Amino acid sequence: MDISIVIPVYNEEASVEPLYRQIVDALAPFEYKYEIILVDDGSSDNTFNNASELARKDSRLKVVKLKRNYGQTIGLHSGFQITQGRIVITMDGDLQNDPLDIETMVKKIDDGFDIVLGWRYDRKDSLISRKIPSKIANWLISRVTGIPVKDNGCAIRAYRGEVVKKFPMYSEMHRLMPVITALSGARFAQIKVKHHPRQFGKSKYGLSRIYKVLIDMVALKIIFSFFHLPLYGFGIFAIFFGILSLAVFAIGVVNAILFPGHSLVTTMGSSLLLASLSMFLVFMGLISEMVYKTGDIKIEKLLKNKK
Amino acid sequence: MNKKIDVSVIITVSKKQNRNNVETIYNTYKSVLEKSKLSHEFIYVTNADSGDLLTSLQALQQVNEDIKIVKLARWFGDATALNIGYDESSGRLILTLPAFQQVKVDEVFRIINTFVDTDMIIASRKRVKDNFLQRFQTKIFHYIVKVMLGMYYHDLGCKVRLFKREILDHIHLYGDQIRFLPLLADKYGFRVKELEVEQYQSDAAHTFYSAKHYAERFVDLISIFFLIKFTKKPLRFFGVPGFIIFSIGSLLGLILFYQRMFMDTPLADRPIVLVSILLIVFGIQLFAIGLVAEIIIFTHSKDTQEYIVEKVIGGEREEVEKVHLPPIEQEV
Repeated sequence: MDISIVIPVYNEEASVEPLYRQIVDALAPFEYKYEIILVDDGSSDNTFNNASELARKDSRLKVVKLKRNYGQTIGLHSGFQITQGRIVITMDGDLQNDPLDIETMVKKIDDGFDIVLGWRYDRKDSLISRKIPSKIANWLISRVTGIPVKDNGCAIRAYRGEVVKKFPMYSEMHRLMPVITALSGARFAQIKVKHHPRQFGKSKYGLSRIYKVLIDMVALKIIFSFFHLPLYGFGIFAIFFGILSLAVFAIGVVNAILFPGHSLVTTMGSSLLLASLSMFLVFMGLISEMVYKTGDIKIEKLLKNKK
Repeated sequence: MNKKIDVSVIITVSKKQNRNNVETIYNTYKSVLEKSKLSHEFIYVTNADSGDLLTSLQALQQVNEDIKIVKLARWFGDATALNIGYDESSGRLILTLPAFQQVKVDEVFRIINTFVDTDMIIASRKRVKDNFLQRFQTKIFHYIVKVMLGMYYHDLGCKVRLFKREILDHIHLYGDQIRFLPLLADKYGFRVKELEVEQYQSDAAHTFYSAKHYAERFVDLISIFFLIKFTKKPLRFFGVPGFIIFSIGSLLGLILFYQRMFMDTPLADRPIVLVSILLIVFGIQLFAIGLVAEIIIFTHSKDTQEYIVEKVIGGEREEVEKVHLPPIEQEV
């Protein structure tokens, strides 16, 4: 199998068939062996019936039905679990991505990149509610993580097959997939992709996602920059507060000698508080170390199979 | 074991909850299941080591071969007992029943009959036998559950529940958290229905509990709250309050620093300095705990899948039905 195309859909009954046709037509001129995996993320309309109707006629199409609506991250994740392709493509189910871009992305992966990201340079969405927030988020993400991804929200992406199965997917992580993979050393390329205005239905993702993405990003950044060696990460802060505690203690002692009779409560109290924080951080570091050792995702091993 | 059983009835009974009328109860429940014409088995999970309970169970077992008794060395709570019973069971559906009667017998039959197009049915008793205070404490408890978890159920204390085996494949509760099973099932995406039933005459037997009991319920509630709301995003849960507290502490610290430097107010004997530092320390601690939790989720996210694939269709394989259809076909 060359290509697995994973598409989470939620209440897209009208888009399913045209989407399928577009993909089949787009890939027809090439000789790739491919599969299309539609993940029905608990739709309440006819999405699943329409999709399984198509799947009966074409064995390249697989439909995964989830018990209820769990969101895009889990939709993608459950699709990834059954992919067989050497290359995994993800895209949106709302026809805004163009399957004609798949070919270019596959070529890029074959050139040796781990991930190829789409960049909607000419985005067909409303300015205020979609484009501006997304611009801000992209800017922040690239500032914080140092990874210059131009369009974190673009759904059309290509991954080397083994990458997607290894990465942790929870919360809103699918948006940060490029950042996670890049932080762990993946080579990524960005290509301009076409973007079409929405034809059917309406958009399902609101503004609140940006706040979530930002917190997830802070977490990731911290985990990746210090905490793949958790004791080391916490230890630095523990040492900092330990020194601070000693410094405050010293000030207290000096004060007591120079101005006898003055109250020592604040200096000594502060010093003790800081010392306890320092100890607390050491213990947290030890616990994290334990957790990390027993966990099955190790950042340094994520891309081990790389050629 | 070979032939597929429709319903496994699991009854968990600890030494302390010892009831004397095991036999009567068994016979009543059995008559219901026979009426429904579903194949069934009874599994008693108990820690009784001697005395009436075990003797009467063993006596029953001699006469009826559909009883299995699982004897535990210690009591770890109803949820743990249910998990053990579940390991021993083979039914497509699981019916949990109390070792005493909470609802009228016919209602159990009605529950079995209404089990269509759903994954779990829980009984909700019409509180006719309870007095005002009992109803009040029930209301309060369920109201707290609603405020914390956003899901309103009327009777989480009722043990009469019928559900698909699948639910326990995915959800592992322990200790006394059994009452929260419907909430978790709902969170995982199972369809949970409540069915209002008639209360049994003498159900109001146990009324008020010890303070320890209430404290334990509260702790259970908090752990479930965390499990349902924040297992996947601990840094949002701990980090944001941590950051806010840290900011307040820092701001206070800056103000004090300003006063000390430019207004010549001595700080040495002002407790407010300690408050400021305490807030900073507390904020950092919260954030650190959130971070540790985040590392746990990050490195273990493969073990904590909280979604359920209902079906996979297409490809080379046959159509895979992962969900068993309800077994009710009989005429009433």
